[in-house]
This record gives sequence, C-alpha cells and structure tokens, in this order.
Amino acid sequence: MIDTYNILSPGFERDAPRELMLLSIISRSFFQPFSLEDNLLVVLTALTSGSGVGFNRAMLFLKSDDRLKGEMWLGPRSAEEAGFIWEVLSTPGIGYVEIVEHNRALVNKYEDTLSARLKGLVYPADDEHAPIPAYAACRKEILHVRGASNEPLVDRRFLNIIGVEEFLCIPLLARDDIVGEIVLDNAITRTPISPSDIKLAGICGLMAGNYIYSTTLHRKLLNMEKMAAMGEMAMFVTHQLRNPIVAIGGFTEQLLKPDLPEEKRDRNLTIIRDEIRRLEDIIYQMGHFLKVSLKEPVYFDPGPAIGAVLGSPQAQTRAKSYALNVKLDPCLPEILCDPTSFGEVLRNLLDNAFDATPPGGTISVRGYRKNPTSFVLSVRDTGRGLTNPSKAQLFQPFFTTKDKGMGLGLPFIKRVMDTCGGKIEVLSRVGRGAIFKLIFISRERESTP
Amino acid sequence: MKKKILIVEDEKPLCLLYEEELSREGYDVTAVMDADAALAVLREKEFDLIVTDIRMPGKNGIELITEIMGLRKDIPIIINSAYQSYKEDFMTWAADAYVVKSSSLDELKERIKSLLGE
Repeated sequence: MIDTYNILSPGFERDAPRELMLLSIISRSFFQPFSLEDNLLVVLTALTSGSGVGFNRAMLFLKSDDRLKGEMWLGPRSAEEAGFIWEVLSTPGIGYVEIVEHNRALVNKYEDTLSARLKGLVYPADDEHAPIPAYAACRKEILHVRGASNEPLVDRRFLNIIGVEEFLCIPLLARDDIVGEIVLDNAITRTPISPSDIKLAGICGLMAGNYIYSTTLHRKLLNMEKMAAMGEMAMFVTHQLRNPIVAIGGFTEQLLKPDLPEEKRDRNLTIIRDEIRRLEDIIYQMGHFLKVSLKEPVYFDPGPAIGAVLGSPQAQTRAKSYALNVKLDPCLPEILCDPTSFGEVLRNLLDNAFDATPPGGTISVRGYRKNPTSFVLSVRDTGRGLTNPSKAQLFQPFFTTKDKGMGLGLPFIKRVMDTCGGKIEVLSRVGRGAIFKLIFISRERESTP
Repeated sequence: MKKKILIVEDEKPLCLLYEEELSREGYDVTAVMDADAALAVLREKEFDLIVTDIRMPGKNGIELITEIMGLRKDIPIIINSAYQSYKEDFMTWAADAYVVKSSSLDELKERIKSLLGE
C-alpha cells in the first residue's frame, strides 16, 4: 500500500508540538510567491505570534556591502495591541496572504516609530570587536543578553531604542557567510527567555539565513541574465539598423553620381524609401517590446478580443490566401490575463502562422475548455514546422526562423503567459506544421440573475 | 581578364549594391544570398576572391568559410559583417580581412584591391 502526502500542506493537528508547527510555517512560507521582504515578515511573525516560539518582538538586520543594517521590526507597542495582534494571528485557518497583508500594514503603520528607528542602526559586519547586537553576527554566535545596561559590549544607541534588559541575538548564517541577524525580546510580557526558546530560535535563524542566501543568489542570477540579454540585444540592434543604413548610404552615393541612368534613379529612391520604412518598423518593434509594461491579469471574456483580432482588416487581408478555420466553445469561460496583451498575443500567433505557411495552407484557431479551470486557445498551421533546436530557442529574444523577423513575438507571448500564470505548449514536426497552445487559468462566468 | 568576385549577402538591397559597385570597379561579380548557393557556384566556377556576410539564414558565414577551406584553400576571403564583435571570434581569423559594413564602400574596395595584388 502506498500513501501520499502533500509536502506543502502537512495538515498538522491543532495540538501538534509548537516547535513542529513553527518550523513547518517557516519552511512552507519560503514556497509562497512573496518577495524576500514579505517572506522574512512571515518568519518574524512565526517567531512572535502566539503559535510560534512566542517572543514578543523581533527585529531584523540584513547584511549589505559589509554592513549590518536595521531593516524591520515587528511587534506590538503595548500589551493591548499585543493581545489584538496575537488574536488575529491565532485565528484558525489564517493563511500566509493574511499574515503578510496584516504585517505589511503593521510595519507601514509604525514606519515612523519602531522600524524607522531601527533603520538608523548600521554596524560593520566583519569586525569581531563590533558592539552588541552586531557582535553576534560578526562572531557567528547566538547571544543571550541579560542585564544589558550593565554590559559594556552593548551599543547604547541600540539599548535606548530596544529599551529592555534581556534579549536574544540570532546570527543568520549561510554557508560561511553572514547574511543578517534577528534580535528577539519579550518587552511586553517580560517573560524570561528559556533555553528551549533559544535552541528553536537558532534553528529558525539557520533556515532564514539559507533562505536569504538563496534568494539573493537568485536575484543576482536574474540580473546577470538581464545583462546578458541586454548585450545580445545591443548586438542584434546593431545588425538590424546597420544593414538598412548601409543600403540607404550606398544607394544615395550612387544617386550623387551624374552618370547614373534615369531608371536607376527611380529604383534607388524606391530602395531608400523601403529601407527607411524598415528602419521605422524596427524602431517601433524595439520600442514596443522594451516599453510594454504588462498590466495585472484580470478575469474577462476572451470572445470579443478573439473576434476583434480575427476580424481585423490586417488578419482578413492575410487570410485571403489561406483557409482560416475558427472553432470556439459556445459560451466561453472567463480567462485570467491582461485583455490588451491577450489581443496582442493572438495577433502575434496568427502572424507567425501566416508567415510559416505557404499560400493555400490552412490556419486553424481553436478555443476550448481543457478542464473546469483551464481554457486552451490554439493556433495551428500547415507550414514548414520547427526543428528540435529551433523549438528550444523559440522563446529567447531575438531568435527567429523568419528571414525578416525580429524574434520578439514569442518572447512577448511568454512574458504575458508567465504574468498570468498560464502555460504554452508547442507541438511541431518539420514539414508538418506547428500548433501553439496557450493554456489560461479560467473560471465559469457567473450566471446573471 | 576581369577578376572574378563572389558576394554572399542575404540582404537583397545590399546584394544589389555590392554587385553594381564592384562591377563598376571592373570586376566580374556573382552575388548569391546564402551559403548553400555560394558553395554550389564555387563548385562550378573559379573565383579570385570571396566577400561574405556572417549572420545569414541557414549556414552562417563562419560555417561557409570552413567549408570553402575544404574546397579551395587559396581563395582570399573578406568577411563583411554588420557586427564589429565577430572580429574577436577566432573562427573569423581564417578570413584574410574583416570589414565592418559601412555606407561608404571605400574600405571594402581597398581591401579587395590589396588582396588581389592590384
């Protein structure tokens, strides 16, 4: 017999050990599609909420350029506020979205007080003689400080801000490096910090440290990819612009020669005009691709947009040389996408299908439900098809199988589909045409009373 | 006798421009728009010099040069590309000259003359 369990929702009993619950909340939060800052808020919440270790307040320092900087401080300012917050957070069924939204509001609300004061604190991150709190991070040790005002190692500015005698400093480690530090205290309840709290907070620190490390690495990688793409783009633009410019310059030089026959004058002027139009087209497409900022996806009826694209003069003119078959489910569901981008996506797919197919071929557009929450829009052509290496590169900017293409259409489609949580499937064989399936998240339309 | 030049350039207007301008210089010019067409004419006709683009649909200019080396090692080759950066690619060093495309064909014409010993 084989039993399976969902790794992201273990479904603990309400009386499960609090340590297990805490580690579960923190590790699962890293899989939520929140920003680094929001996920760290979840960690701070877990450390301070009633269901967690139960510290009253948590403050976070992050390392940046060899300095440890105060970033955010989470916790109530008074016992009444604490009671209210802990009640909200211990509501059964409360999810990450609620926690994050609640805490974002809390951090913003006290921006002028707790977090703002914390942000003024900056310490060296690699000095073994740095004052407490940075001392813990620099020496990679957990510090449990009691009687802080009698302790010369404690930074007085920090002590004035935190205003408690007992606190815990947890360094956030990743591999051999320090990525930050969390400081925890019980300013409201004044409960002493127990050895088991220290151990558990230490484990949370290790998890948070590795999470910060991998997220930072991932951000760096994305930046590098962006830079590489920019380099590729600069190279591509050079080529795209230089060819028409060379033609314009060369044929203009010929025009300036007095012995050029009259018929060649007209031909040269036609070439120059066409090349200038090509330059304009390149500039328009580049500007469009670089500028288009995608809007938030919303649920909408795709029917009118599909009708508008297929019925546009441009599509109708091109379709004259082809058999264009359209088959849509009656009463389409609502799909999740930005409506403007959706029209552009379909227009791009149709253009590609026409470009790939010799006149006389067939282009088929289908729209159907894959299941109750997915809608498929597919465009099929009977053109030259794609080789396997082409399939792998299809969505890279500036890759094109067309003689005159820019290679920006499919990367744009991918951006749109990524933004709305959709998927793209490509099926093709050389000489047998291609089918592009866009799979959107969908829902049935609410019936009107 | 006129020296024979083969131009390989996928941009139609540029193909026409080079063909006319080099013919005007007194060369016997054959212009083709891709590498396969170039290899086909090379098997049928003798040339004194080849001018090729790099980025072309199908085989690129570097692949073309490699194949030409297998056919005829002695023909001088000029790479004529819109990209400055390919100069750094050692695969382009097999060519005898590298000219970045320009609306003035003076540099290209000079390189041709010097490689043909004129």
